[in-house]
Amino acid sequence: MSYRSSLAGQIPLLTLLLLCAATALLTERFLSPLNLTNILVQSSIMAVIAMGMTFVIVGGGFDLSVGSTAALAGCVASMVMLDAGIAAGVIVGVFAGALVGVANGLIIAFLSVNPFITTLGTMVLVRGIVFLITGGAPVSGETGLPGAFVAFGSDRLFGVHYLVWIPALLLALLSFVLHATPYGRRVYATGGGREAAYLSGVRVRRVIASTYVWCGALAGVAGVMLAARLQSGQPTAGEFYELTAIAAVVLGGAALQGGEGTLYKSVIGVLIMIVLGNALNLLNVDSYWQRVAVGAVIIAAAAAERLRSRY
Amino acid sequence: MPRLRLAALLTITASFMLAAAASAQQKTTIGVSLAQDDNPFYIAMLRGIRARAQELGWEVATVSANEDKLKQINGVQDLIARGVKGILISPIDAIGVNAAYDAAAAAKIPIVSVARGSTSPNQTIHVAMDEKQIGRDIAEWTAGKLGGKGKVALLMGPSGAPTFKNLGDGYAEVMAKYPGISIVFRADGPLTRERGVKQAEDALVANPDLAAIYTANDDVALGVMQAVNAANRKGKTLVTGMNGVPPALRAVKEENLAMTVELNPVEWGRLGVDVLNTFLQGSKVEPHVFIKHVIIDATNIDAKLPKT
Repeated sequence: MSYRSSLAGQIPLLTLLLLCAATALLTERFLSPLNLTNILVQSSIMAVIAMGMTFVIVGGGFDLSVGSTAALAGCVASMVMLDAGIAAGVIVGVFAGALVGVANGLIIAFLSVNPFITTLGTMVLVRGIVFLITGGAPVSGETGLPGAFVAFGSDRLFGVHYLVWIPALLLALLSFVLHATPYGRRVYATGGGREAAYLSGVRVRRVIASTYVWCGALAGVAGVMLAARLQSGQPTAGEFYELTAIAAVVLGGAALQGGEGTLYKSVIGVLIMIVLGNALNLLNVDSYWQRVAVGAVIIAAAAAERLRSRY
Repeated sequence: MPRLRLAALLTITASFMLAAAASAQQKTTIGVSLAQDDNPFYIAMLRGIRARAQELGWEVATVSANEDKLKQINGVQDLIARGVKGILISPIDAIGVNAAYDAAAAAKIPIVSVARGSTSPNQTIHVAMDEKQIGRDIAEWTAGKLGGKGKVALLMGPSGAPTFKNLGDGYAEVMAKYPGISIVFRADGPLTRERGVKQAEDALVANPDLAAIYTANDDVALGVMQAVNAANRKGKTLVTGMNGVPPALRAVKEENLAMTVELNPVEWGRLGVDVLNTFLQGSKVEPHVFIKHVIIDATNIDAKLPKT
């Protein structure tokens, strides 16, 4: 435990810093202010999804439905926004995401269906609903989404995109919830050993269900951000985001069997994935090699995770 | 163990970067953002871009999006950060990647759409085929072969991409003039062979007497062909393609595919680079540049087959 919290605990951060240093040595453009703010805005949406995924993975679960949920939230928010204004759209969008989380949570915790299968099911089902409500076409109305909402997807506050402030604020708030409250400790206890948690009085079903609600609501927030970034509700958006999010959470040192993981390290995991993609683009690496590289990094992270838990 | 993990990660990332580091350059670099990197159309287009750029002494930096809109915006941002002089883009969607155009405009870099286009006011030039006209030409050809009657299925492209809507609209516009022809099946979907097989199977189950299947893309058509042959409908259900990629040309020769439209994506790529070059030299370029298309069927296939 002791070495884990000292050296191994900082490995995600060290990996990120070394990756940045190596890229900065290879191209001076990497450290330009434009590129650095680009990296932050490119990471922002995935960071929100990865935070939700961290709740679920720490609680011993798994959520494949986040990409579809984000698409649902983005499309619902866009549709509502066109009729009833930005605030209503954002609220309903996030609420739609949370609702998917409630469904996942109830099925997994109270019907004891395997989380992998449950969320695989909701992933496909929710995507179907998105196509049904949008007719398969992007949602942007006759004249586009409200100007203020589109501006929110591209404008900056204090030199940094609005989209980056959201994960920053959420990280502070959610770190408190997961790392400093009795509720947070129950999530870790449940993920670390469900029987033990149950025997010591934790209502494990409720705790498990709640992690999926966090995950769904945060996927909803990410979906609304995505709609702002894409200036439209996109029914096909968010495909494979679940895989990137899970990879990022594992890169951040979370254990897939539950009970272990930290929100800010999951965000670092996202930054590693985004910086890797950014570096490969800046260095003009062929897109086929990029796929190989990203896949290799994911496997390396999972393998390291396996080795670490064995010793 | 932690050291092992670190070492593994570093070795992998470092080796890819060192492989890339060799490409340091001082020449004019243009950026290319493709919607997909695994579709033969875009692969051929990129070949044309590279060939023409090489003749001009330019470097080409590519990023790919694989139909992920956010990834395409990110890739264009990376190209801008890299300092490219101009960008050729094939936008996934007419609205969804407008942030990429805004970013290019903010950096005062011209951004030319090739193939698919955008609604963004910051799109410098759009190099494209005359989509509606191609749709009309395919429909006229098909209606002629069918003698003006029969059931027709439409396998369109990804929803939201205006190219495929325009093609389909042109097609439907002409078919509406033939009272004997009815469109009985219409579906959107990705431009893959797998999807062509599935949707054609479904269309043939629902309508076993289908006279023709229109596809918005050759890859889809190649999948449709498999389903048509499996249902013993070869020669009875006409399959039409679009793009003129080599496997589709061979299929026309083997009479599995009734016709396709040659777009010659290599020429598109070359034209895109030329248009960008003209613009960068300060000359006036029309906002829409059309590329000509040629219908390929049994009558002219021998002249079009790739030399082996």
